[in-house]
Amino acid sequence: MKPIRSVVIVGGGTAGWLTAGIIAARHQARMKAGGFSVTLVESPDIRAIGVGEGTWPTMRSTLERIGVSETALFRECDAAFKQGGKFVGWTTGAPGDAYYHPLMIPHGFSRVNLVPHWLSGAHGGSFCDFVTPQGRLCDQGLAPKTIAQGEYRSAANYSYHLDAGKFGPFLARHCTEKLRVRHVLADVTAVRQSESGDITGLDSAQAGCIEGDLFVDCSGFHALLIGQTLKVDFKSCHDVLLCDTALAVQVPYETPDQPMASETIATAQAAGWIWDIGLPTRRGIGHVYSSRHMSEEAAREALLGYMGAQHRDLPVRKIPIRSGHRQIFWKNNCLAVGLAQGFLEPLEASAIVLVELSAKLLAEQMPACREVMDIVARRFNEVTLYRWGRIIDFLKLHYVLTRRTDTAFWRDNVDPATVPQRLQDMLTLWKFQSPWFFDELDRLEEVFPAASYQYVLYGMGFRTEVVPEDRAESSSDAAKLVTENARMTAELCARLPKNRELLNRIHQYGLQPV
Amino acid sequence: MTHIVPLNIEKYRDLKVDGRPAAAHGDSRHFVQVIVGEFSHLLVHYPILFGKHRETGRFFCGAMLGFIEGENQFLQDWREEPEFYRPLSLQRGPFYVHGPELAIDLDDPRVGAESGEPLFTAQGQPSRYLQRIIWAFQDLQPGIEQTQIFIARLLELNLIEPIDIEVEFEDGTLRHCDGLYTINQESLARLADAVVIELFRRGYLALIYMMIDSLKQVRVMARTKNARLLKKTEGLVPAQSARGE
Repeated sequence: MKPIRSVVIVGGGTAGWLTAGIIAARHQARMKAGGFSVTLVESPDIRAIGVGEGTWPTMRSTLERIGVSETALFRECDAAFKQGGKFVGWTTGAPGDAYYHPLMIPHGFSRVNLVPHWLSGAHGGSFCDFVTPQGRLCDQGLAPKTIAQGEYRSAANYSYHLDAGKFGPFLARHCTEKLRVRHVLADVTAVRQSESGDITGLDSAQAGCIEGDLFVDCSGFHALLIGQTLKVDFKSCHDVLLCDTALAVQVPYETPDQPMASETIATAQAAGWIWDIGLPTRRGIGHVYSSRHMSEEAAREALLGYMGAQHRDLPVRKIPIRSGHRQIFWKNNCLAVGLAQGFLEPLEASAIVLVELSAKLLAEQMPACREVMDIVARRFNEVTLYRWGRIIDFLKLHYVLTRRTDTAFWRDNVDPATVPQRLQDMLTLWKFQSPWFFDELDRLEEVFPAASYQYVLYGMGFRTEVVPEDRAESSSDAAKLVTENARMTAELCARLPKNRELLNRIHQYGLQPV
Repeated sequence: MTHIVPLNIEKYRDLKVDGRPAAAHGDSRHFVQVIVGEFSHLLVHYPILFGKHRETGRFFCGAMLGFIEGENQFLQDWREEPEFYRPLSLQRGPFYVHGPELAIDLDDPRVGAESGEPLFTAQGQPSRYLQRIIWAFQDLQPGIEQTQIFIARLLELNLIEPIDIEVEFEDGTLRHCDGLYTINQESLARLADAVVIELFRRGYLALIYMMIDSLKQVRVMARTKNARLLKKTEGLVPAQSARGE
């Protein structure tokens, strides 16, 4: 029997350090006893990509579990609250066309599906406001909690916008100082493999040979182990998601106390969309577009038009988006996490959540010995492939529901040839029943649960035919939930502070641990 | 409005202050900040808990005086029994400290009342009333800092947890007090021996148990309030039957 005692992670970006932290926190007792180790190898020269500035609420539980202080996160990573996404101009492109995908699930979601009741049309107003306070909180620029609520506690569900360039080093300090992760600064010059193809060690210029039992490839686009060494093929999904380029820029605030949004704003453009993420110190803005439908020059002009001509001289970074993922993610004794797995346009901040889910799955299912590893690997591949598929479907959903016909980009996006069969089937089904429980999206850790589909579908005016008699059974429960939601909305709007005001207080006083 | 000035004997020799507890004198509070030095006096009457400052979110120690915002169940006791312990931060009345000096808020309604107590004797010495204020501040000033240090150590040891206080009264109302915290007894039981000794030597262990013991007062307060509610309803019953006759 060959026990797994030493995990070696290659790459020191967000993916590498999150993976290190999640594994080390889960296996801390064994590490203390000396029977297990986590090593992270990072090139002293390569800088992290650091584009991902949006996260999912899973990040709250992840950071709490690995023992990070939330106050330190806010102070050291320029973190801010994220309460969801606001999609502007995606449905018709007309003025006022916008909807929210908030992070709170509809009120009473586990008991009653409110969709049929909203579709009856008797209530007016948006689906989001019908089922949750969070859209209103975003409209009013309110924070999701008060200063008196301890770290990781909330009045409204939230996640973070953060400076990814600072987040990696922040996690690195925590992992090495608190969680016994060994940090090796070295350039990998060669990868040693056994006859079976298993990786046995990494030769490095600075630290000699780094041996290990299990290797995690967090080397980003390089895919040093999973791609270059183990030759796992890449599966493009460009035929589904048409955008292939991003232009990113960091925009300063006009004044230091300028109000800041707590939602990621995604504004549709002629051949793509523009993200707008508010950090306390600056806004991160980027234009994601299809180079087949728009020239770089036009894309730059559109970006400038969005942020204002006074920002003409700010440096713009061009990032290629090669949409797709590896055919498999775990081969031999090596698995990929992060950009080495694949990359998609950052429409729903799915990159970091997939890192968390992958690392958690590995940490929980850590194979005891090489002999059982292939069983775990098979599961990991099955689940991860499923997740990539569902994320691609969910991103495509935002495009396929559009009624825009003003440009070739939007017209091409609804071409059935670009829509995965599974998504087509779901859309066909959802004409007669809305996504809720017992749908396909029922896995334990679904990246986008049925609630997310509800927000996008009914935010974009999708119609599900509902038999009125079908509603009758739950109508009194539904009426109660809707009243409760309205009361909760009024109560939270009256009590919560402004988003920036709370961040200022956190910087000044900190959040209490309880 | 406040108008706080240093307490100058030349200027304010004849000033009188009404130091009696009264709703109009700022005593209508249901939770009031206290310091560790008071715990042994407090625990015979009041639950001692942690609250959080609204502006900063930081913890402070407080005595619970009532179940409803602005309701002080002990006001009557304070007025009838001068020896009934009243938290220092209320005892101090309209006085403040300004550096090393005592200061007074001239706009406070308690200041200048004809029926009040003189601050100085005919000989220009502090009156008994003022002397008690001076003593209160001698305890309060260092006490606030000592209490902060105590709280910081408890937080480091994960010894503070939220407490849900829910009481149902005779009149059918259900009162839920949130935003309150107490000692986490599970964490307390798991402390390493060396830490227990450290807490004992610093006097913190005694404070911790005083806070735990004081939780009993929640039930006593609920009983008192219920008894008062019953009295009120009893008073109503004959009136109603009288109407019926």
